[in-house]
Amino acid sequence: MRAMKLPLALAIATTVGLSAPLFAADEDYRIVDKPLTLTIHFHSGDKIVYDSDWPVEKRAAELTGISLDGVASMATQKSADAFNLMIASGDLADIVGGNRLKDGFNQYGQEGAFQPLNELIDEHAPNIKAFFESRPDIKSAISAADGNIYYIPYLPEGDFGRMYFIRQDWLDILELETPKTVDELYKVLTAFRNDDPNGNGKKDEVPFLSRDWEEIVRLVVLWDARTTGSDTFHDYYVKDGKVVHGYTEEEYKTGMMNLAKWYQEGLIDPEFFTRGKRSREVLFGDNLGGMTHDWYPSTTSFNDSLADKVPGFNLKAMPPPASPSGRQLEEHRVIPVKPDGWAISYTNEHPVETIKYFDFWFTDLGRRLSNFGVEGVHYDLVDGKAIFKPEVLNASDPVNAQMWNVGAQIPKGFLQDFEYQAQWTNEMGLESIALYEAGDYLTEQFLGVSMNPDEQNVYDKYQGNLLTYMLEMQQIWILGTEDVEAGWDKYQEQLDKLGYNKIIDAMQSAYDRQYGS
Amino acid sequence: MKNASRTRWLIQHFKREWQIYLLLAPLVIWFLLFLYKPMYGLQIAFKDFSLFKGVDASPWVGLEHFRSLFDSDMFLRAIKNTFIISFLNLMIGFPMPIILALMFNEIVQGKFRKTVQTIVYLPHFISLVIIAGIVINIFSPSTGVVNLLLMKLGFEPIYFLTQPEWFRPIFIGSGIWQEAGFQSIVYLAAIAGVSPSLYESAVVDGASRWQMMWKITLPCILPTIIIMLIIRIGNLLEVGFELIILLYQPATFQTADVINTFIYRQGLVGNQYDVAAAAGLFNAVVAFVLVMTANSISRRFTRTSLW
Repeated sequence: MRAMKLPLALAIATTVGLSAPLFAADEDYRIVDKPLTLTIHFHSGDKIVYDSDWPVEKRAAELTGISLDGVASMATQKSADAFNLMIASGDLADIVGGNRLKDGFNQYGQEGAFQPLNELIDEHAPNIKAFFESRPDIKSAISAADGNIYYIPYLPEGDFGRMYFIRQDWLDILELETPKTVDELYKVLTAFRNDDPNGNGKKDEVPFLSRDWEEIVRLVVLWDARTTGSDTFHDYYVKDGKVVHGYTEEEYKTGMMNLAKWYQEGLIDPEFFTRGKRSREVLFGDNLGGMTHDWYPSTTSFNDSLADKVPGFNLKAMPPPASPSGRQLEEHRVIPVKPDGWAISYTNEHPVETIKYFDFWFTDLGRRLSNFGVEGVHYDLVDGKAIFKPEVLNASDPVNAQMWNVGAQIPKGFLQDFEYQAQWTNEMGLESIALYEAGDYLTEQFLGVSMNPDEQNVYDKYQGNLLTYMLEMQQIWILGTEDVEAGWDKYQEQLDKLGYNKIIDAMQSAYDRQYGS
Repeated sequence: MKNASRTRWLIQHFKREWQIYLLLAPLVIWFLLFLYKPMYGLQIAFKDFSLFKGVDASPWVGLEHFRSLFDSDMFLRAIKNTFIISFLNLMIGFPMPIILALMFNEIVQGKFRKTVQTIVYLPHFISLVIIAGIVINIFSPSTGVVNLLLMKLGFEPIYFLTQPEWFRPIFIGSGIWQEAGFQSIVYLAAIAGVSPSLYESAVVDGASRWQMMWKITLPCILPTIIIMLIIRIGNLLEVGFELIILLYQPATFQTADVINTFIYRQGLVGNQYDVAAAAGLFNAVVAFVLVMTANSISRRFTRTSLW
């Protein structure tokens, strides 16, 4: 018997020899001896619900012993509604996740719906802890007003998002240089408007367009103004340690006056408020559009998709034109922490296991799994680097959509790897990034404040109407219904009446408490 | 003794008529579940409501939300706009289906009449989102039919949907275009119920068609018109806000923002359920007063009323 056993053991050892080290490593990730199933309510972006059949989820269950059972249903289409309904019912899943939930996590967390994670992280989640130690600003940004952390956020990587893109082929036809300042830009756009770069004999060119009307407003940045401090439109920003809103400043007035003039002269898409999300496809596709400010991956892709339809089509990234004071700013930036993620609800009986599970996604293996999918299926490990398989890169669906379908790149608490995006960005995109990287045009972002209930009340009471009024005047001014100069003093008065200063006081006290000053 | 006989009568009554009550039950249950039970939640208008704490555990704040509503110029403007749009809608939109029905009634040729009726009914069955899309396209400054016409006539094109003064005409006009045809069905049915003998004797007396319309058709369908009017007044403040949301822009808020769109932005977009509930409650109270007034006026002057 004894003699039999040894060769058998040897034989097993040799047959599994190749996978043996991996097998041993896999054991390190095991959290529970007996398989544990936790429920999860995860409804994100109005399109993704947690699916227990995702390959990524299955792999994670193999590794950790914890499997998640998705209880959110696509029967509710809006993610925000799904979250609110679940909260209102009081019947919370063990884990709750999704996008745009920071305020919900922090408000209901302080009311007792979610468990504070600080101690759990300190004791059981070495990887998350290490991350927060390396990024104390992010830790402050996600903390609630009571100082507790209630959720593990989705942490995107890669700073670049929107950039200025101009039709190089039109510049060439009109023999113009890439505009370097706002005055040069004005001349170029005027030439686009008047000199018929598309050569059809009609004055039908739309020099500047955008699928988001907020981007038209963002042009005021070219006159030293600011429109937002984060990747959300119309947000507050921090100027020398003080929270302010760009729409209240003198520079904004200058910007608005110029924008109204540009609009009047037809340099901006005359229908930008009603054109809608497909304006790029329509206006570039009909060879009418000249310039835009938009995300680089989708914008550079027009060079490929329109190559047949518009001969010579060449949309090229350009550095932000300098403002009168000489500032070259790209206001948009991918935020390092999204208001997305997941949290442990008060009904969860396994908080320790759950936080260990959250921590798994911050290990190297977990991070690869959440970024690139399953090893051997979606990516291969080459010299310690995850490389997408060719069949993933060459499939007809974009890589991000493929990843969502297998449960990777969903906005749960995980640290994104920019490498994931770089691998499927086209050459134009990489060039654009290099251009913006070299110029260092980005600025610090405002990661938001966590207000205590009193501050939050002030904010909730005034913010909605204040912003409505700001946007209303914005449109009225750009469309030329009212003169900016004439209306500015009344505008300032009205802002004060609508509680602007009260909001600023509330946010400032929260900001000082949170970031220290 | 009296009670006992009453109970016996009730039991017998139910034994005899239970089928009718059974038929009634679904509607009563529907009313209780979907209209009466939610009224319990109206109290959040007076509370600092938190979804997690629930309706009962949220603390009372009295009239705080109403105070902040009436402090806000935005809300006052929304009330003003609601009334203006509603009354314009009533003045212009209400007579349209009646006129349409009278006109249909005068068309003798069967095939032509059927075709025209079908054409005017059709928009009713189109989704609002598509209606909004059609409106946006028709009034587009560069490719819209209206502006192409204007330009042919030598006028400057107008970006209609961003001009506050154009919002109401466009909104009311598209509402009439969509609904007038379908609403005329009720009046056509009423006209069909007018006794033919009245027309016959009128013809004998030598009345013209115009006179018959004024002296016979209209008086005969007047009760229907009044009932429809009262119902309409009851829904007066329920402006078709979905279409407004699809068509308005911040630039047109000053004429387009109504109570319901205000509630939508506060409650659903801004997650301030308590303030939105307060605004909704106010809306409901005003609507209630309006319908009561209309009903009693109608009862006094025309002896027709809803109840």
